[in-house]
Amino acid sequence: MVDVALQGGTLGAGVSVDRSKVLQSFRLSDAVFRHLTRAAAIAVLVILGGIIVSLVQGSLPAMQKFGVGFLVTESWNPVTEKFGAIAPVYGTIVTSLIAMLIAVPVGLFIAVFLTELCPMWLRRPIGIAIELLAGIPSIIYGIWGLFVFAPFLQQYVQPFLIGTFGEIPLLGGLFAGPPYGIGILTAGLILAIMVLPFVTSISRDVFEAVPAVLKEASYGLGCTTWEVMRYVVLPYARVGVIGGVMLGLGRALGETMAVTFVIGNAHRISGSILAPGTTISATIANEFTEAVGDLYTSALISLGLILFVITFIVLALARYMLMRVEQRLGK
Amino acid sequence: MNVASVSVVSSVRATAPDTHGLTEKISIRNLDFFYGDTRALKSINVSLYQGKVTAFIGPSGCGKSTLLRILNRMYDLYPNQRATGEVRFDGQDILSPSQDLNLLRARIGMVFQKPTPFPMTIFENIAFGIRLYERLPKSELEGRVQHALQRAALWDEVKDKLNTNGLSLSGGQQQRLCIARTVAVRPEVILFDEPCSALDPISTAKIEELIDELKNDYTIAIVTHNMQQAARVSDYTVFMYLGEMVEYGDTTRMFTTPNDRRTQDYITGRFG
Amino acid sequence: MALYDTRRRRNNIAIGLSVGATLFGLLWLVLILGVLLWKGLSGLSFAVFTQMTPPPGSAGGLLNPIAGSLVLTFIAVLIGTPLGILAGTYMAEYGRYDKLSSVVRFVNDILLSAPSIVIGLFVYEVMVARMGHFSGWAGAVSLAVIVVPVVVRTTEDMLTLVPDTLREAAASIGLPRAYMITRVAYRAASAGMVTGVLLAVARISGETAPLLFTALNNQFWSTNLNEPVSTLPVVIFQFALSPYKDWQNLAWTGALIITLAVLALSVLARVLTSQRKSS
Repeated sequence: MVDVALQGGTLGAGVSVDRSKVLQSFRLSDAVFRHLTRAAAIAVLVILGGIIVSLVQGSLPAMQKFGVGFLVTESWNPVTEKFGAIAPVYGTIVTSLIAMLIAVPVGLFIAVFLTELCPMWLRRPIGIAIELLAGIPSIIYGIWGLFVFAPFLQQYVQPFLIGTFGEIPLLGGLFAGPPYGIGILTAGLILAIMVLPFVTSISRDVFEAVPAVLKEASYGLGCTTWEVMRYVVLPYARVGVIGGVMLGLGRALGETMAVTFVIGNAHRISGSILAPGTTISATIANEFTEAVGDLYTSALISLGLILFVITFIVLALARYMLMRVEQRLGK
Repeated sequence: MNVASVSVVSSVRATAPDTHGLTEKISIRNLDFFYGDTRALKSINVSLYQGKVTAFIGPSGCGKSTLLRILNRMYDLYPNQRATGEVRFDGQDILSPSQDLNLLRARIGMVFQKPTPFPMTIFENIAFGIRLYERLPKSELEGRVQHALQRAALWDEVKDKLNTNGLSLSGGQQQRLCIARTVAVRPEVILFDEPCSALDPISTAKIEELIDELKNDYTIAIVTHNMQQAARVSDYTVFMYLGEMVEYGDTTRMFTTPNDRRTQDYITGRFG
Repeated sequence: MALYDTRRRRNNIAIGLSVGATLFGLLWLVLILGVLLWKGLSGLSFAVFTQMTPPPGSAGGLLNPIAGSLVLTFIAVLIGTPLGILAGTYMAEYGRYDKLSSVVRFVNDILLSAPSIVIGLFVYEVMVARMGHFSGWAGAVSLAVIVVPVVVRTTEDMLTLVPDTLREAAASIGLPRAYMITRVAYRAASAGMVTGVLLAVARISGETAPLLFTALNNQFWSTNLNEPVSTLPVVIFQFALSPYKDWQNLAWTGALIITLAVLALSVLARVLTSQRKSS
């Protein structure tokens, strides 16, 4: 077999011609592939645009009928076709607030444990356990909440809260009312457990990204673990932690199934967090398939639009903060 | 051109090697290179000759790798990098936008500092490039792969494990695999960008031997920060400093009687 | 020395709180999984996988919702994965430095965490309202919309991890860009990309809200995707909120099945990731 390569570096003219034919076909497939990937990237934008457009379109009838008053009306009456968003919006915000008030400190402390105090061999298992908590589908939280958590709260916790705080002037109003078991507080607590893993893992990642030299310098001065965390690590990681918190908030705001089971589905605002209420997602989940009439459907879609706008703002802020963290790390 | 650069050019020319009777494969004229607004290469003028090894030496940041990567238009993969001037390969200007980059890179191969076998079997690593351009029957393909591995002095070590992953080889073997991969595509020029800096001395010696054999059939350019390697391996040497060519000449002459003060300082280790 | 004592005390309190918080978090995990196993396991039998959903009062299984979920998940992955991989490829390769990629990255992150019920509304407006009826296709599409951002993100991350030197090595033998991406970069990133798909599947396995008004529900066995399709999460929703004891038991069993599936996928994804790290 005569080997061209043995005879010297340059190829004969015939081989070059063959090569350029092959390269021509490459040019075509290259261009096709490039345009295909570009189209797919644009498709992602189209999906978001589609969501916004369809939500706005679907909300129009209700928007036209109720105007801005929609946001502050409490009544929700499918019979008289009078709809107002304030009860679901209130419920969404309050349950998420309760969730964050609990999940953030607890999550931060768990992150502190995992990064500073936990023995090496335990780190991975606990980390996995936390991730498991995040992976449990929300409907499981829902039925667990309804059949296990709510009765527990009803029997032990809520009477305790009512008894303890009931007499205090302002606080009493917050914890008033019969112990239903289900209600805004219950929903908030379940959301707290759901959001906890998010806050924990993002905080842990941010804490671990703090340069070791910074921590070593403060330990070198004789600082206690707590002082290192509080005065050095946390300020350094502040922006990242806030980003993680907002990400968790975004999830809490949009959570549907866990909340639907335990919120009680009452379209009203009450002063007590022990009372039943509703959130935007719970309302839509419960009522959409039974909505009769265009106005009813449109009112529900308007609720969806409000939810989308709120979560969009929160998520955009979270992204902005996390982006600043990455810039700081020089990525 | 101001007076200073005229004198640089003329001093470089004064010591340029005698290249009568040699075929000029690549000719570089007035080459400038920019990273964004920063000029990294200034007025480079040099030629590479068929059957000869040209080494590029100089301290870090002098632009030798940058220069090498212009020859196969590797900088095209990144934004904000551009070259002006003329680089002729067999008479054709390869800096022109109409130059087919895939064809150019098939004819001018490159071996990198860090060995980078593809995530495939040893056989596939070599066959991959061949299959790109030619449809060969199995026996002929196997013959080509064997030949490429023999040229890279790797055949005896891997002939029984052609179906194992390329990444399972040692560093020196991986680098020879990369050389075999480059050779398999039948280029005319091979560029070596610090091919031995990540390898142990024994692998380095083997690769230097390889380069000596390969030069009979290819035009070779090698960038190295190891001056002794340049002295061992090359026919001509170019000394670069801060983006400019300082001296260009016959290797033996340059290392024994350098013309420029800076060349002498670098070679004797006064800086770099 | 008083100051030192205060500092020490504070430190100990903080340590106590950290340990306590961790135990608190783990407690809920144990409680939830424990109850799930206890209530769901008792109902787990062969019949669950072979019999259809029963009317209240009689015995039955979860055959049609399990089948429905499997089919819709499969279709959603079929639609969403190629789209996600191609978009992620653009962002990591051709468009790595351009403006379009940064915008898409931002939008993708929003979609990743967007409330899934809103996605259900979107697909309702676009498909169900137009078509005039609920359908399995609409359900699959809404799940696909959830799959896409996950796959885009993991594809882009994994491809970005592939070192540029490998790309340059491919370019240096004259490999065209498309080949370099599909034959070299994809191969190098394959474990990570498969992990992304597994994570996406785990994510949609438990999604209920988007299915509520797209695929709706179906008591009967149907192979026609143009009709409503019963899915496991929606059936759990319906059965759990009902007053019937045997329906509620089936709901727990179904919940256990979903959770085990999600856990299995997560474990698989983890195994793949560690395999990649060791190679």
